[in-house]
Amino acid sequence: MPLLELRALGRGTIHPDPRKEATAGRPIEDLPLPAEVLLPLIQHLGDPAVPAVKKGDTVQRGQRIADAAGNGVPLHATIGGRVRAIEKSAHPTLVQSPAIVLTGDAAVPPLEFPEDPHWRALDREEMLARIREAGIVGLGGAAFPTFRKLRLPPGVTVDTLVVNGAECEPYLTSDYRLMLAEPRAIVEGARLLARIVGVPRILFGIESDKRDAAAALEAAVRETAADGLELEVRVVPARYPQGAEKQLVAALTGRVIPPRALPYAVHVVVQNVATAAAVRDAVRFRRPLLDRVVTVTGPGVVEPRNLRAPIGTLLSDLVRFCGGLTDTATRVVSGGPMMGRALPRLDVPLVKGMNGLVLLTGRGPFEEGYGPCIQCGRCLDACPLGLEPNQVSIRVEAGRATESAPFGAAECYECGACAYVCPSQRPLVQFLQVAKSALRKQRENLAAVAG
Amino acid sequence: MSEAAAPRAPFVVTPGPHLRTAESTRAIMWWVNAALLPTMAWGLWVFGPPALEVIVGAVAGAVGAEALANRMMRQRLTVKDGSAVCTGLLLALTLPPLVPWWAALIGGAFAILLGKMIFGGLGYNLFNPAMIGRAFMMASFPVAMTTGWSIPRAWYSRLEAITTATPLGVMREHDLQAALHLIGGPGGWFRLLIGMRPGSIGEVSVVLIVAGALVLLARRVITLYAPAGVFVGLAVMTSFSGAAWLHLLSGGVWLAALFMATDYVTSPATRPGQFAFGVLIGLLTGLIRLWGGYPEGICFAILIANAMVPALDMWFRPRRVPATGAPS
Repeated sequence: MPLLELRALGRGTIHPDPRKEATAGRPIEDLPLPAEVLLPLIQHLGDPAVPAVKKGDTVQRGQRIADAAGNGVPLHATIGGRVRAIEKSAHPTLVQSPAIVLTGDAAVPPLEFPEDPHWRALDREEMLARIREAGIVGLGGAAFPTFRKLRLPPGVTVDTLVVNGAECEPYLTSDYRLMLAEPRAIVEGARLLARIVGVPRILFGIESDKRDAAAALEAAVRETAADGLELEVRVVPARYPQGAEKQLVAALTGRVIPPRALPYAVHVVVQNVATAAAVRDAVRFRRPLLDRVVTVTGPGVVEPRNLRAPIGTLLSDLVRFCGGLTDTATRVVSGGPMMGRALPRLDVPLVKGMNGLVLLTGRGPFEEGYGPCIQCGRCLDACPLGLEPNQVSIRVEAGRATESAPFGAAECYECGACAYVCPSQRPLVQFLQVAKSALRKQRENLAAVAG
Repeated sequence: MSEAAAPRAPFVVTPGPHLRTAESTRAIMWWVNAALLPTMAWGLWVFGPPALEVIVGAVAGAVGAEALANRMMRQRLTVKDGSAVCTGLLLALTLPPLVPWWAALIGGAFAILLGKMIFGGLGYNLFNPAMIGRAFMMASFPVAMTTGWSIPRAWYSRLEAITTATPLGVMREHDLQAALHLIGGPGGWFRLLIGMRPGSIGEVSVVLIVAGALVLLARRVITLYAPAGVFVGLAVMTSFSGAAWLHLLSGGVWLAALFMATDYVTSPATRPGQFAFGVLIGLLTGLIRLWGGYPEGICFAILIANAMVPALDMWFRPRRVPATGAPS
């Protein structure tokens, strides 16, 4: 399908200044274990974990401190020490959530996670159980429990695993540095994932500005055991939002995921590179997800770095390790600057899904208000889905959000490319969100009437 | 909790994306104005102070009317966004140099008030405001608008009678030969190209209009889809008239194709739509010039095509990901 080729090659995408140079050359550094961690019981999409410890208990790093409930995942102590409190605490995205607060004690030894000699021969259910037990969620930002994504819904058949190394958000380099540092862990994890979902083929998608990472993965592919799987590392154009599932799957396989559908619809499962590495640790060592790599960067921090930090570390501790804030820092973004969210404060914990902490200067994009749509059409060129943010926005402004259905509002996945290019500084993502929720409500009302 | 967090919080929280392009509507509008300067300067050199009066009148009328409308509608002042200046300037560049300054002033004010502000201001107008102003002046000051043409450089030579006719006007009244005679017989094509001929203030120099448009192309402010359509449409319609070259090189077609058919607000948003819009303008211009009541037809052609834009936006849509066959 030639149209898709074009999209994969940069039509309907944008090319923001990558701004990755501050941290791209910096290897991952281990953050010294912090004196305190704050571990929210909700760090994933699904039911909150249930505390398995009580105030005053001594816990070891690696010990399970909250059990999985319903469709959720468990939670582990990421530092050794004592449970100081189990209480409502600040959460980066949920504002507040119950959390287990640990105070560190260097005298408490961490749990050891020796290799399971039979790790290559485990059956599918055992691997899934270990992945769940390790508390693994999608580390690319979505934080969807990985074991659920790997349990295919009935009737779904898949033939390809896509491993997402297309870190397209400006500023972020955590996946890039991980691919350079631990390509073997990623490839081993990908092989395990392929066995779990039962596919013969793995495609790694790496952007063209990270060719050294692609080369590292390629070398790791050659080194790791031949297991009959077909592995291929492919370089895709460095455009935004190349790392979005729909874009990456189209670029790698030529298959188009229909609107509002998941990659299953085109027989593909997508996993992020960091998730693959965590899966390897979980299956091979039964090691839970205790740390994650996070890029702390932006003009608002003195010394931008790539850190491996325990989950639950306060963002202020991350910033302090990076030399502190600059005098001009005004904004804090959790995740990448395109799809991440602004935080009002730094005394919130690093959660499993947070791949970046970007400290920005200057005024926010919409602080100075916005102008009328002048129908310049830039958003039409930017939208990777061929939607019409201009038309949606003027209907939402006119109080006619439900009339925006023909322009694709419901299909938007909020990559922000339209708002990035809008010369009138219009908050197009928010207009699309309003339209989406109005359309959802309309559908529900119709269903209620019909039912 | 942590000491480092305390002093700076709370940070500014705004919705994403948190990065954006440096481009702004205001910058775009002022670039368009800047791109019109070469042809404006040429108009001043060729037609002298009367042209300056017209330009000042039209721009003052447009800017004054916008400020007044802002006041009356209790809006913040929008004249700094450059779009009122742009409307006034574009209108002036399409006027005969000997039109009275006060007529240009009224035209500029009318263009903004009834061409733009009454629809809700920038972004909401259906018709090109400058062309609304010109159409209004055609109806209100028909004599000045059809006879206010000046012989190039005549003002400087202190000629008694400096009024003349335009090449298209002569061709309409007489024939192609007479039109060619007006622009100077042999070598006339060259004078037509550089702009040493009677015509509207800013329409005469094809070379300088193109030079300005090249700046906008280089800055990606405009694309060539609509202009290409205009030339295709006009060439098709006039191909059998025997004077296609004169049609393509004269009149306001270059100014209109590069600076009016490319106006964001009053043209379609997609590229195929823009091309179709251009073709429509070209065909209508040819139709009016060959069989209509005016020697020059591009003003009305643009206005009619403007009315088609909502339909063109519905017919020419971006290509979406197909929704068919989704097992979801």
